[in-house]
Amino acid sequence: MTKRIPGLRPAVQTLFFLGFLYLLFRAAFPLEIRFPVDLYLRLDPFIGLVTFITQKDIFLRMLPGFGILALTAIFGNFFCAWFCPMGSVIDFFGRVLFREKKRSKPMDDQALRRARTGILLVSLAGAVAGWQVLGLLDPISLITRTFAVFVFPAGTFLYDQVGLKAVGLLSGKAATLTAVPVPVFKAGALILLFFVLVLALSVIRKRFWCRYLCPLGTLLSLVSGLRLVRRSVTEDCTRCQRCVRDCPVGAIPADDPLTYRRSNCIDCFTCLDCPPRAVSFRLGGGSVSPARSVSMSRRYALGSLGLGLAAGLTFKLDPIRGAGRFKNSRLIRPPGALPEDRFVSVCAGCGECLKVCPNNALHPTFLEAGLDGIHTPRLVPRIGYCEELCNFCGRVCPTQAIRALDVEEKRLVQMGIARIDKTRCIAHDTDKTCIVCNEQCSYQAVVLDDKKRPSIDEDKCTGCGICENKCPVEGESAITVHSVGGQKRIAPRSVIIP
Amino acid sequence: MTVFDSKFSRRQFLKGAAATLILPKALASGLQSAPQTPTTGPEADVVVAGGGTPAGLLRAAMAPLGGMGRFVKQGQRVVIKANFAWARTPEQACTNNPELMAALIKMVYDAGAKKVAVWDHTCDNYQFCLIRSGLKKTAQAAGAEILSGHGRNVYREVALPRGRKLKKAEYIKDALDADVLINFPLPKQHFATEVTLGMKNLMGLVWDMALLHRIDLHQCIADIGTIRHPDLVVVDAIRILTSNGPKGPGKTEDPLQVIAGTDLVAVDAYCAGLFKNPRTGKPFLPREVGFIKNAHDLGLGEIDLAKVRMKKVQGA
Repeated sequence: MTKRIPGLRPAVQTLFFLGFLYLLFRAAFPLEIRFPVDLYLRLDPFIGLVTFITQKDIFLRMLPGFGILALTAIFGNFFCAWFCPMGSVIDFFGRVLFREKKRSKPMDDQALRRARTGILLVSLAGAVAGWQVLGLLDPISLITRTFAVFVFPAGTFLYDQVGLKAVGLLSGKAATLTAVPVPVFKAGALILLFFVLVLALSVIRKRFWCRYLCPLGTLLSLVSGLRLVRRSVTEDCTRCQRCVRDCPVGAIPADDPLTYRRSNCIDCFTCLDCPPRAVSFRLGGGSVSPARSVSMSRRYALGSLGLGLAAGLTFKLDPIRGAGRFKNSRLIRPPGALPEDRFVSVCAGCGECLKVCPNNALHPTFLEAGLDGIHTPRLVPRIGYCEELCNFCGRVCPTQAIRALDVEEKRLVQMGIARIDKTRCIAHDTDKTCIVCNEQCSYQAVVLDDKKRPSIDEDKCTGCGICENKCPVEGESAITVHSVGGQKRIAPRSVIIP
Repeated sequence: MTVFDSKFSRRQFLKGAAATLILPKALASGLQSAPQTPTTGPEADVVVAGGGTPAGLLRAAMAPLGGMGRFVKQGQRVVIKANFAWARTPEQACTNNPELMAALIKMVYDAGAKKVAVWDHTCDNYQFCLIRSGLKKTAQAAGAEILSGHGRNVYREVALPRGRKLKKAEYIKDALDADVLINFPLPKQHFATEVTLGMKNLMGLVWDMALLHRIDLHQCIADIGTIRHPDLVVVDAIRILTSNGPKGPGKTEDPLQVIAGTDLVAVDAYCAGLFKNPRTGKPFLPREVGFIKNAHDLGLGEIDLAKVRMKKVQGA
């Protein structure tokens, strides 16, 4: 290849970005779509690799990611420049909002380049110790989560405020068109802030996140070092420095533009815009020995690995995760979630489940599940309860931290047990008739005494939280769901199958 | 503009007053002397039709009331307050019978309605309710809109000057503004209020249902009846839920009845008798159900069935 087609890359990026938006949009009721809505996450080899290490098990769902690795070994790292929706958004905002600041002399970024490799090593070593940073640093997880907790709710809000009126006027149904409930998310602001920070880093250097921080990019880079399709430059090169300036990841050294850092190149083909047309990409090209992409010392590499292991072990000792008094009994995991330890080590924090939940019941944690459990989903019944006949969260989970269960199986999963605060309960505390909890319970687990005061049948309660959600007491509910040391399967005969 | 702007003489007033006094009687006597046709005045205020197909039951129940034409006129907008509050299947008798709903919508359209809208404010997630109850398909196939009140924008706050405990409520705008409001409940056993009948069904037109529980459920249900008295009540008692109500699943019974009426309280008074009072072991007396008694006390209708013009007919 010797010629760049103008506008092709932004067009392809836009297309893949729209595909990402569409799939995430369709991660919603009734979830009848032939494509897996978590396709972009399944194509992410970093998530695939880390969950493979933490689980010592191959996930069929994550296999496509390894296909991406194989393709990268042939064509180089095309993922970042052409496919990655996070990369596309960074590119876009790098053009319109967060433009790179002009600097008089080139920046020495060796330390930063090392940092990226360091982050990858820390996360792989951490994975060996059962800890993962996917939730925070994987770009696909990051963008999916941000769009699930911020962009889609904001879009819904705008629709309700503006679009609803427009549609109402056009269809003549303004009086009966019902607003779509706007999902709200705990810790949502934090997630947005992190996303904006990632975009804003482009002010320092173009694609700052991609070049210096992204662990997925680093993994692809390492494989990209083996690439078969390579860049080669003929002696026609006039050293005009145009390619050096334009390269979005700084892969071409200023002092020797004939070569390039092979593993840093993201195949954007910007350097084909060469005035003397000296640059080409060919299978088996690039006979000139590549520039070193990063100078890693042994000490640095070992230090990174050690840090990852130490971090993993430290998080394991977090008392909130133990069984004792420090345990967070209000940390209720989605139905079908793996046992807590495995759950936090395999959940990529992508937020697909938050998006798909029809009742806005799942929320990203902040520190409720400990430091390593950040941005994993938890059930917050007061905001939304777990719908009885819904199994969507497991069906969209790319790493199967929440297992995909049949609706019948899911109805038998006990996530927690409801408890009644008799001092706040209307029926216990006054002589009024209330019993909303009993009326709403899908499993007939709220039983009444002769004075119509509720109590819980623990054999039937699944902890779905509809009682906590609908309890008419103002503020905190008089009936609250508490986790009971992991999820259990309740006996089928105690639940009437609907 | 005030009434004083128009020139309204004492003479005109007297003429008008005289006319309002005389005309209805004159008209009524004229009708009595005319031969009886199916469209003349109603024979009953509450009709119980038993046995037969859903559509046949509905036809049989509506005829003695004067037919649907009495309630629905050409070009009107009709709101049906149905019950699809739960994600349950039709066989479980927690939501309306689809066949009966289809027949009701068809009958309303045949009477000349311009558009029929079926409303409920669901308790379970509305998407699951609409699909699982089968009523979305039913209503749309019959040409009606089926609408769920899950967004606060479709409600309007109204004052309840006659309400004893509930003084204001947010009520579905469409139900307030429609030309005709048909209440289409399904009788069920209910843990909180013993039974859930026609008046309790109207609770599903209110935004903040939790509030009613905090105040006083039985009185609030009666108070809600003062907002807009439905023009017609059609009770779907083909299959009723007799335990674990209102959400079920529970035991069901098949009375195979459709009860139609214009008196909200009298209809509920009859339907209460479909259920056994666990305290007495006999069918519920209307006065044993708090909200029926409260509604009667508010003057919403007649609780004493002996004073109601009732008719029992055989369904087709």
